[in-house]
Amino acid sequence: MSQAARRPGESPLSRHGARPAAVRVHETGRESLPELRYEGLVTRGIAFAIDAAVIDLVAIVVAGGVALALSVLSVPKDSLDMVLFATGGALFLAWSLGYFVTFWSTTGQTPGSRLMRIRVCGADDGGVLRPRRAAFRFACLILAAIPLLAGFLPILCDERRRGLHDMLAGTVVVEAPGPG
Amino acid sequence: MVRACAVRQGHSIAERRRLCEDRLRSLNRLGKPVTESFYIEGRRLLDATMRLGGTVGLAAMRPASGAISAGLRLERAARGAAGRRLNDAALSALDAALVSPVAEEAVDRAMASGLARHVVDRLLADGIIEHTVGRLLDGPELERVVGTVLQSPAVDRLLGQTIESRLADQAVARLLDSEELWLLVGEIAESPAVTEAITQQGFGFADEVAGGMRARSRNADAWLERTARRALRRPQR
Repeated sequence: MSQAARRPGESPLSRHGARPAAVRVHETGRESLPELRYEGLVTRGIAFAIDAAVIDLVAIVVAGGVALALSVLSVPKDSLDMVLFATGGALFLAWSLGYFVTFWSTTGQTPGSRLMRIRVCGADDGGVLRPRRAAFRFACLILAAIPLLAGFLPILCDERRRGLHDMLAGTVVVEAPGPG
Repeated sequence: MVRACAVRQGHSIAERRRLCEDRLRSLNRLGKPVTESFYIEGRRLLDATMRLGGTVGLAAMRPASGAISAGLRLERAARGAAGRRLNDAALSALDAALVSPVAEEAVDRAMASGLARHVVDRLLADGIIEHTVGRLLDGPELERVVGTVLQSPAVDRLLGQTIESRLADQAVARLLDSEELWLLVGEIAESPAVTEAITQQGFGFADEVAGGMRARSRNADAWLERTARRALRRPQR
């Protein structure tokens, strides 16, 4: 999305006053998205925190169950610590990946996103992501978080409120309609 | 014939005669028989004579009919006056009877004799009570009476006294002590309708909280972006 493709004089603040709004008729070549409202850093952060709470809660319950099961088995702990940590980390990563990929590639909304009424969609067509693209976005999300979350700062400056992972994966986060 | 024509049209005799002869001649020329015209003229003469006789008869009968009408009016006036006097006298007698101790005595004796019970039995047996109750329930009179009673200050006072009395407290205490009440409350609380209503209310509350959170987060988004753009000296959106 280049600056030339945007309509001149379309300032969200001028149209919506002090309300946050990155609302544009977004044209990309032949196709044009309907009028979308791109979501900002705080809203997306709250949605991600809710998702993280769900993921962590499930992980803690599962890890507690596994720890209880192992406590009654005569397993040499010292020798298996590293294996258990590695397995647990891999399972946690797989669980997180599966969580986000499943929700992004089916409805475009994780439970946290649904609560905040936002959804992830393709920047070019506005459709639901394919699983491979969703997985790539998750990898980019981790990549954006590595430099002290600096990969998320472009959300504050970008016209379509995209972070580094959005730019790399070609996605945007927009407002989703309510259940009514 | 000539004279009849002359009398009817008011011409002189000779002129009338000439007119009649002209008419006779014209009738003969048309081929109509003279006897038919004579028949028509005679019929008209007879009609005029009968009308004249009727008028004279009516004039002669007018005094007699006036006398008959006056007699009838007099009779109606006398009958009305007598009826009014009679009604007044009957009502006065009834009032006098009702205020006298004889009436109470008569009522007491009638009640003692079982007449009232007999009357009630007959009303019940004949279905008159049912009919009356049905009529009362179907008609607007009952609503009117109930409305009047409910709007009266006496009912307000009565209700206030009842609520403030010890009777209401005792009734509530006995109701709370009864096991059936709590069984009923449990049944209602576990009913699907109540459960669904509570669930809907819970969802509504959660949605309300989420809506408030969304509004605040979007305000925070706008503020954060304004601050970042100001810091980076980029134009505001």
